[in-house]
Amino acid sequence: MFAALPMVLVAYLSLTSWGGLGTPEFVGLENWSRLAGDPVMRRAVWLSLVLTVLNWIVQTPIALLLGVWAAGPQRNRAVLSAIFFLPLLLSSAAIAIIWRALLDPNFGPLAWLGPRLGLGSVDVLGGPTSAFAMIVFVTAWQFIPLHMLLYQGGARQIPASLYEAARIDGAGMLRSFWHITLPQLRHTITTSSVLMVVGSLTYFDTVLILTGGGPGTDTTIVPFLMYRAGFRSWELGYASAIAFTLVVVATVIALLLVRFTGFGSMRSTREGM
Amino acid sequence: MTTPRVVAAGASVLALLTATACGGGGGGGAADDNMHVWMYQDTLVVVQDAAVERFNAESDVQAVIDEVPGDNYEERLRTAMGSSEQPDVFFNWGAGSIQPYVEQDMLMPLDDLLAEDPELADAFIPSILEAGAVDGVQYGIPLRGTQPVILFYNEAVFEDVGVEPPQTWEDILDLVDAFDEAGVTPFALAGADPWTEQMWLQYLVDRIGGPEVFQRIHDGDMEGWRDPAVLEAAETVQDLVERGAFGDAYASVSYTEGGASTLLSEGRAAMHLMGSWEYSTHLDQDRAFAEEDLGYTVFPPVPDGEGDPANVVGNPTNFFSVTADTAYPEQAQEFLGYTSQEEYVADMVANGEVPTTTNAEEAVADSPNPEFATFQYEMVRDAPHFQLSWDQALPPETATPMVTEIESLFNGQSTPEQFVDALAAL
Amino acid sequence: MTTTTTRPRAAAAVRPRRSGSSGNRRRPNLLAGAGSLLWLAVVGVPLYALLVATFQRGENYTSDGPLTPPSDPTLDNYATAIENGLLGFVLNTAIVTLAVVVIVVALSATAGYAVVRSRTRWTNGVFRAFLLGLAIPSQAVIIPVYLIIVEMGLYDSLTAIVLPTAAFALPVCMLILVGSMRDISEELYEAMALDGAGSVRTFVQLVVPLSRPGLSTVAVYSALQAWNGFLFPLILTQSHDKRLITMGLFEFQGEYRVDVPGLLTAVVLSTVPLFVVYLVARRSLVAGLMGVGGK
Repeated sequence: MFAALPMVLVAYLSLTSWGGLGTPEFVGLENWSRLAGDPVMRRAVWLSLVLTVLNWIVQTPIALLLGVWAAGPQRNRAVLSAIFFLPLLLSSAAIAIIWRALLDPNFGPLAWLGPRLGLGSVDVLGGPTSAFAMIVFVTAWQFIPLHMLLYQGGARQIPASLYEAARIDGAGMLRSFWHITLPQLRHTITTSSVLMVVGSLTYFDTVLILTGGGPGTDTTIVPFLMYRAGFRSWELGYASAIAFTLVVVATVIALLLVRFTGFGSMRSTREGM
Repeated sequence: MTTPRVVAAGASVLALLTATACGGGGGGGAADDNMHVWMYQDTLVVVQDAAVERFNAESDVQAVIDEVPGDNYEERLRTAMGSSEQPDVFFNWGAGSIQPYVEQDMLMPLDDLLAEDPELADAFIPSILEAGAVDGVQYGIPLRGTQPVILFYNEAVFEDVGVEPPQTWEDILDLVDAFDEAGVTPFALAGADPWTEQMWLQYLVDRIGGPEVFQRIHDGDMEGWRDPAVLEAAETVQDLVERGAFGDAYASVSYTEGGASTLLSEGRAAMHLMGSWEYSTHLDQDRAFAEEDLGYTVFPPVPDGEGDPANVVGNPTNFFSVTADTAYPEQAQEFLGYTSQEEYVADMVANGEVPTTTNAEEAVADSPNPEFATFQYEMVRDAPHFQLSWDQALPPETATPMVTEIESLFNGQSTPEQFVDALAAL
Repeated sequence: MTTTTTRPRAAAAVRPRRSGSSGNRRRPNLLAGAGSLLWLAVVGVPLYALLVATFQRGENYTSDGPLTPPSDPTLDNYATAIENGLLGFVLNTAIVTLAVVVIVVALSATAGYAVVRSRTRWTNGVFRAFLLGLAIPSQAVIIPVYLIIVEMGLYDSLTAIVLPTAAFALPVCMLILVGSMRDISEELYEAMALDGAGSVRTFVQLVVPLSRPGLSTVAVYSALQAWNGFLFPLILTQSHDKRLITMGLFEFQGEYRVDVPGLLTAVVLSTVPLFVVYLVARRSLVAGLMGVGGK
C-alpha cells in the first residue's frame, strides 16, 4: 500500500497545483511543460547521471578488489574486514555530519591541516567541483563496504578447482583473475551495479546535510531538487512531476541493466545454490 | 525463528502499533492536553520560556514551547499545518510568511482581541503591528524585538590593524585591502546559508536604487529584477568577492552552526553584516567579547545611490499567530497578551533585544548594553523604510530559487548579468 | 603479507556450508593487500579523528591537531549528549526498528511462501509488482506518503515512520526470501504432505527453519533501513518526543553551534547500539548483508 498507491498518487499529483494545504487543484499538463523547459531540472538530471556513472566507476573496482582480497586466506584479513565494515553501521546522516565536521574550512581538521601543507584555507564543500567530488567520495566511503561484502560472498562461491586448473595451465595471478574471477563474479557484478545505480539516483540525506545542494545548484541532483521544489518551495505538484520522472528513469535503468546482463536468468541458473 | 517466537513477534507488533498510534494521537489537534507554542530555536527563546512559566502559573491549560530548529522551521511548520497536528500558537515573520495559511482560513483573526483590549493594541508601534496583518486583518502579535541588519565589527581587530570603522563605501574598500594585508578576513560570511548573503544584496539594492526597486518585484513584476540597481548591486557583490572581502573559504560556512559568528569573535574576521540577534548570540557564547569588543555601525551609503542611507533591512519583528482550529482559543489569546507585559519586555531587553513596544525607549536603558540598544532603537525609529527580508516577503516558490541564485552569485558561479536574467525568469 | 600456502581453508569466517566452494586463493595478492591497507587508511583515519574529537574539549578542538590524542581528555561531551535527550531518540529508533523488522519478517516470510508454493497467475502477478517496487526509490514517493499519512491521522507518530519504512523494505526482502525458499527441495514438501501437514504446518515446520539464512538477511537489511532512515522521519514527524536518532543528529548540528566535539559525540553515541549488535552478531550480520546480493 505504501509503494503502489503512492505511485498512482504521484502521477495524479503531477497534474495538480498543490501547496500542501487544502486540496490539490487540477491543472493538466502545466507542471510537465514547465519541467521540460526548466534549466535547473535539466542540470539536475545531468548531475544525477554523472554522479551515477562516477559512483559506479569509483566504487566497483575498489569494492571488487577488496571483496576478492577479503575472500582470500590472508592472516589479518578478518581484522581488516571488521574495520572496513564499520561505515555500514553509520547512517547517511551520521556520515554526512562527520565529513562536514572534518571538512569545515575554519574549524575542522582540514583547516588545521591545510596551512601545514601550504594549501592555505581549503573550502572543499564550497567549491563547485570539489563539493561534487566530495559527494562521490563520501558515498563511496559509505557504500564500498556493502559492495565489498557482496563481492566477498561472490568470490567465496568460486570453486577452487578452477584456480587449481588454471595454475596447472601455468596461468599467473592476473590471468586467473581476469579469466576466472571476473567471469565467475558476473552475477555479483550485476547485482552490485543495479544496487549502485538505483542507489545513486536516490542519495538525498548525504546531499542535504553535506552541501544542501550547493554551492549554487552544483550538487542539486534530481532527488534533492524534488525535495527542494516540494518542501521548500511548496510546489508539491511540480515536485511530483520530478518524482515521477525519477521513478521512470530508475526503472528504465534497472530494467536495462537486468536485460543486458542477464540478471533475469540468473535466478534459474543458480537455483539450488 | 520458531513458532512461539513468530507468534510472540506478531503480538508485539500489534502491541507496538497500538502503543505508537496512541502516543501519536489520531487527529484533532494536539495529542496531549497542552497548548503547543512553536518557537524558532535560538538563544532568545529564554524570553518565551519565562513567559510560558508565568502563564502556566495562572492558567488551567498548560502551555509548552516546542523549539523547532531554525534550519527547517518553515518546512516543519508547513508540514504540520497540513496535518491534524497543528500547533496552537506559532512563531512567524508576519505578512508573506503567513499568507498561505490565511488563504486557507487556517488562522484566527485577532481584530476582536485588539478591539477588546485596547491596551494591547496600543502597546506596539503601529507600523510594526501592521506587518502582522494580511489584507487589513490582524493575524499576528509581535513577540520579538526588532531585528535590523547591522554591520558588526571586532574592535580589537580594528585596533590591532590601526583602522577606523567604515563611514563610506570607499572606507569599506580600503578596509578590505587593509585587513587582507593583515591576514584577517575582512567580512565573515556564512555562505552555506544564503539568506546571510541576501542581506548584502538587500542593502546594496536599497542604497543604490531605493526601496521602490524591490517593491515592484514584491508586487509581482519579475521584470523588476532588471532594474539597473539590481545589476549594479550584483556587480558590487562580484567586486567585493574578487577583492577577497569574504576571504576564500566562506561558501560552506553555516550561520546556524555558528561558524561565521565565531570567526568574528575569535578575531579571524573583522566585520560581519548580520541581524541584531548577533548581539545576543555573542552574549550567549562569549560574554566578554560581546561586552568589550563587539562594535556596530550602519551600512554605509553607496556613491550616487538614490536610496536613503537611513533605510534599514531585516525583520521588523516576529509574530505569534493562533491557528483557527486550536482547542484553546481563549487561552491562546490570553497568552498573546503576555508579549507586552512588563516582565516580558524586561526579559527581552535583558537579552539584548530592542522591543517593538511603545514604551521601549525607556526600557532600553536597562539593556546590558544600553548604548547598543539605543543605537538599534533609533536606527529603526528613524528609518524612512524598513525592508522585510526578501525571502520572507516573497512567496516560497519564488524565494527558494532566488536564494539559490544569490548563493551562485556570491560563489562566482554566475555573473551579475546571468544573475539578473535568472531572477527575471522566475 | 606473504602467507603460507598450507593455511587451512577453515580460516574463512563466514563461508557457506558447501563443499568444494572454498575460495582458497593460494597466491596472496600483494597488490590487493597493499590496496586494502590504503583503504584501511581511508576508512580508519576519519573514524580515528571522529573518536579522538569526542574526548576533546570544545575550546581545544581547533587548537589541538585532529590526529594527536587530546592533551586533556574529557568525558564531558558524552555527558552533555546524554543530557540533551539522545537516549530518548535512541529508544524511539529502537522501537521503530523492532516494529519494522517484525512486520517485514512476518510479511515477507508468509508472502514469500505464498509466491513459492502457489503458482497461480495472481500470486505471480503480485510478486512481479513487488519486484517493480525495487526500482521505486522511497524519496520519489515521499509526497504521496505524506498525504496518506496525514489522511490517516498518523502525522507525527512513530507509526507514521514504521509503515512506509516497512513497505519500502519489503520488495528487496521478498526477493531475498523467495530466492531462499525456492531452494527448498520439492521432496521435502511432498514428505510434509504425506505426513498430512497443512500449509500452515508446512510453513512453520519446514519453510521457516530452512529459510533461516534468508530470514536473518531480511532482518538485518530491514533493521539497517529503519535505524538509518532519514527522509520519513524528516517529513512525517516533527515533535521532540517522536524524534529518531538520525533526525536528532541532523538537528544537533544546528543546536551545538561550533561545538564540533559535542556533535561528533552524538554521532558516536548514535552508533553504539548498532555497534553492540555488530559485536554480538557479527557473523549473521555479515552473512546477512552478503545475502542481499547473493541471490
